[in-house]
Amino acid sequence: MKTPYALGRSLVAGLMAAGMLAAPALAEYPEQPIDVIVAFNPGGGTDVAARTIEPFIEKYLGADLVILNKPGAGGEVGFSLLAASEPDGYTLGFINLPAMFAYSYTRETAYSPESFAPVANLVYDPGIFAVRSDSQFETLGDLIEFGKANPGALPIGTSGSVGSSEHLAIQQVQAETESKFNHVPFGATAPLRTALLGGHIPVAAFNLSEATDYADEGDIRILGVMSAERAASAPDVPTFREQGVEVISGSSRGLAFPAGTPDEIVAVIAGAVAKAMEDPEYIAKAESAGAPLAYLDPAAYGEFLTNTSTALDKAWEIDPWVK
Amino acid sequence: MLDLFLPILHALPVVLEWPNILGMVVGVLTGMIVGSLPGLTATLAIAVLIPLTFSLQPLVALGLMAGIYNGAMYGGAIPAILLNIPGTPPSIVTTFDGYPMAQEGRAGYALKIACWSSAIGGAFSAVSLMLFAPPLVKVTLLFGPAEYFWVAIFGMSTIAILLGKDPVKGIIAGCIGLILGSVGSDVMTGHQRLTWDQKYLIDGINLLIILTGLYAIPPAIRMIEKGVVRGYQLSDFKSRPEDSLSRNFWSFVPTWLRSSAIGIWVGILPATGGSMAAFIAYNETKRVSKEPESFGKGNPLGIAAAECGNNADNAAAMIPALVLGVPGSGVSAVILAGLLVHGLQPGPQLFRDTPDIVFGFMWQMLLTSLLLFTLGGNVATRVFAQVMRLPQPVLAPMILCLTFVGIYALSSSMFNVWLMFGLGIFGYLLNRLHFPLAPIVLGLILGDMAEHNLRLTLLINQGDWWSLLHNPLSMLLAGLSLLIMSLPLIGMLRRKLAGTAETPAAH
Repeated sequence: MKTPYALGRSLVAGLMAAGMLAAPALAEYPEQPIDVIVAFNPGGGTDVAARTIEPFIEKYLGADLVILNKPGAGGEVGFSLLAASEPDGYTLGFINLPAMFAYSYTRETAYSPESFAPVANLVYDPGIFAVRSDSQFETLGDLIEFGKANPGALPIGTSGSVGSSEHLAIQQVQAETESKFNHVPFGATAPLRTALLGGHIPVAAFNLSEATDYADEGDIRILGVMSAERAASAPDVPTFREQGVEVISGSSRGLAFPAGTPDEIVAVIAGAVAKAMEDPEYIAKAESAGAPLAYLDPAAYGEFLTNTSTALDKAWEIDPWVK
Repeated sequence: MLDLFLPILHALPVVLEWPNILGMVVGVLTGMIVGSLPGLTATLAIAVLIPLTFSLQPLVALGLMAGIYNGAMYGGAIPAILLNIPGTPPSIVTTFDGYPMAQEGRAGYALKIACWSSAIGGAFSAVSLMLFAPPLVKVTLLFGPAEYFWVAIFGMSTIAILLGKDPVKGIIAGCIGLILGSVGSDVMTGHQRLTWDQKYLIDGINLLIILTGLYAIPPAIRMIEKGVVRGYQLSDFKSRPEDSLSRNFWSFVPTWLRSSAIGIWVGILPATGGSMAAFIAYNETKRVSKEPESFGKGNPLGIAAAECGNNADNAAAMIPALVLGVPGSGVSAVILAGLLVHGLQPGPQLFRDTPDIVFGFMWQMLLTSLLLFTLGGNVATRVFAQVMRLPQPVLAPMILCLTFVGIYALSSSMFNVWLMFGLGIFGYLLNRLHFPLAPIVLGLILGDMAEHNLRLTLLINQGDWWSLLHNPLSMLLAGLSLLIMSLPLIGMLRRKLAGTAETPAAH
C-alpha cells in the first residue's frame, strides 16, 4: 500500500523524469536511509563486500545505507524480496550473476531478469581452469587434447553445484572443442582448492581471485582465464580466447533496484557507487580482500544482465543440467 | 629454529597493549554470556560484531573475536551442567556427566572442571597453532573426499558406543538425524529433497535450529511441567572437601592430554568441528576408563574430556582457515570473514606479509584461553550461575524467549522460529519416549558429510567403489571405524560366551 507520502514522492520523481528540472528535486533524494538487501548470511562473501563498500557509498551519497541480511535458498529469498519491494528508491539489493538466474531452470523463482532495475556492477571475477604445479597439463590445449582422446575420463572439480557458472563453462568448452570431461561439483571453493593442492582432483574450475595467491606461491598453475582480456591480477595467464576456446564466464556482484524505480534515482546511486569505486582507500581495501573491481554503469550493467540471461537460456537448451 | 620463533615473539608486545587486553577481556565475557544462552552462539556474535569492528585496529578486533570464540565454547558448558541444556552444540557432550553431577549437588565442582578443562584444551590448541600451523596444514592436504568419507563414518561409528541400554532406539534416533540432514537442494544434481516447496528449506535446515529445538525446548517444557519451585541453592556451588581440583589435579592430566590431542586432530580437518571433537574425546576417555559404566552418571572425567576436546578444537580449526582459507567450523568461517574485512586475505602469503597480525591473533587465542581460568571461574559461578538459581517455572519462559530471539536473528525469518518450535515439540515427545538425542545430532552433522564425500569419490573415480580404499590413510580410517563399531558386539559375545561357560560349571 502506498502512503500519501510515498505517492507524493513518486509523483515528484515522475515529473522529474519528464523535464530538465532534475537537479533541484534530486537534491531531495535520498531523504531517508536506504535499505540494502544482502541475500546471504552475515560474514559471507557478499556480506563482506557489501559492508566494505557501504561507508564509501554513504560518503558520496550523503545518506545512510542499512544492510539487511535475508539469507535462504542460495540467495533466492533475498532476491525475491528485492524484486517484490516498492520501487521508490529506498530498497536496494546486491545481486549475483549468473547464479541468481540459474535457479529458475530447476525451480520456480519469483523473479526474472525483468524484475530488476540494474544500478551498477561492482565486482567481476572471471572463471579459470587450474592444476597443481606438478600436473602433466601445461596448457589449456593439453587438457582439451586429453579430453578428446579420453572422453569423460578426466574429472574437473567445480566450486559450485550443477548449473553454476563453472559448470556451464565446462559445458561450453566441451561444445566448442568436442572434448568430454567428468564434472565433479564440490559445492564450495575452499574444499575444492584443498583437494586440488592435495592432489585429490587433477583439475579445478573456480574464480580467479581465489587462485592468484596460490599461483604466485607456485603451488598451482592457472591454465587459462575466462575473461575477454587478460586479468590485471594475473597478466601472465593467457585467456581461453587466446588459446582458441571462445568461452567467457565468471561471477559478478552488483547492485539493483526493483524494476520500475525511476531512472533519476538509479543514476544518483550509480553516480555515488562510481565515485566510491574511484576512492583510493576503497580500491586499496578491495585489492587486499582480493575483489576484482569492474564498474559498469546502469546501461552497461543492464546489457550484461540480459546477455547473461540469454547465454543461460542457450546453455539450458543445448544440455539441460537437471533432467 | 630462531627464524620460527622470532616472528612469534615479535608479535607479543603489540598484543599486550592496553586496548588489546581490553578487547580480549570484553571478548571472553561476551563469549561466555552468548555461549551460556541457548540459541545464541559464537558464530552469531562474531557475525554481528564484524561490522562494528571496522573502525578498530585489526588486532583489537581479532582479540575480541578470539575472546568470543574461546569464551563461548566454555560458556556453553554452564547451562549444559546446570540445566541439561547445551548452550552451544559441542556442549551436548558436557550434559552427559555435567547434569548428573549438578543433580548430586556438585554443580560448583562440575563448573570448575569445565572451566579448567576448557582453558587447558584451548591453551594446548593455541600453542599447536603457533608452532605448527604451516607443517600441520600438510596433514589437511592428505585428506581428500575418500578420507573425509571415512572420517564421517568414524564419527558415526561412535554412535555405537553412545547407544546404551536400548540400541534400537539409538539407531532410530541416528536415522532421524540422517533424514533431517538430507533436507535441501542436492548439490550434485540440483534436485530438491524433502523441501516441500518451502524456500527456507532449500539450503537445508540450519544445524542451530535443530539443536535449539531438540535441546533447549524439551527441558524448558519439562521445567514447567514439573513446576519445581526450588532452584539451585548457594550450597550447590560450594565445592565439597573431597571435590578439590588441586587435590585431584593429576587424575585429570591423562584425560586432558588425550582430549587436547583429539581436539587438535579434529580441528585441523575442515568441516568437522567442535561437536565431533567433544564426542570422540568423550568416547575415548570412556573406552580407556577402568569403570566405563560410571560415565553418564556424573563422572568428572566425562566433563573434562568433553570441554577439553571442544576447546582444543578452537585454535586448531584456525590452522586450515589461516593457511588454506578453509574454515574448520562455522565460527572459524566468520572469523575468516572478519580477517577479510580488515584486508587480511587468508592463504600462504598471510604469514609472510602480515606476521605480526597472524601471530598476534595466535597469542590472543592462547591468552583468551588462559583468561578463562580467572574470568571463567569467578564470573561463571558468581554471576551467571546465580541466574540459574531462579525457580525453574520462571527460568523456562526466559529460555523460550531467548531461543526465539536467537533463531530469529539467524535469518530474520519466522519460518525458522516455527520450525524450531515444531522440532522442540518433536524433541519433547522423543524425550518422553526415552529416545537418546545425541545420535540425532551425530547423524545430522556427519550424514551430509559422508554422503557428499562418498559421491565425490565415486564421481572422480567413475563409480569405482574400491577407490574408497585406494591409499593407506583411507584404509586406516576404515579399519578404525570397523573396530569401533564391532567393540560393543565383541563385548556382547564375550559376555555371552562367559555366560555359557558358567552354565555347565553350575551343573
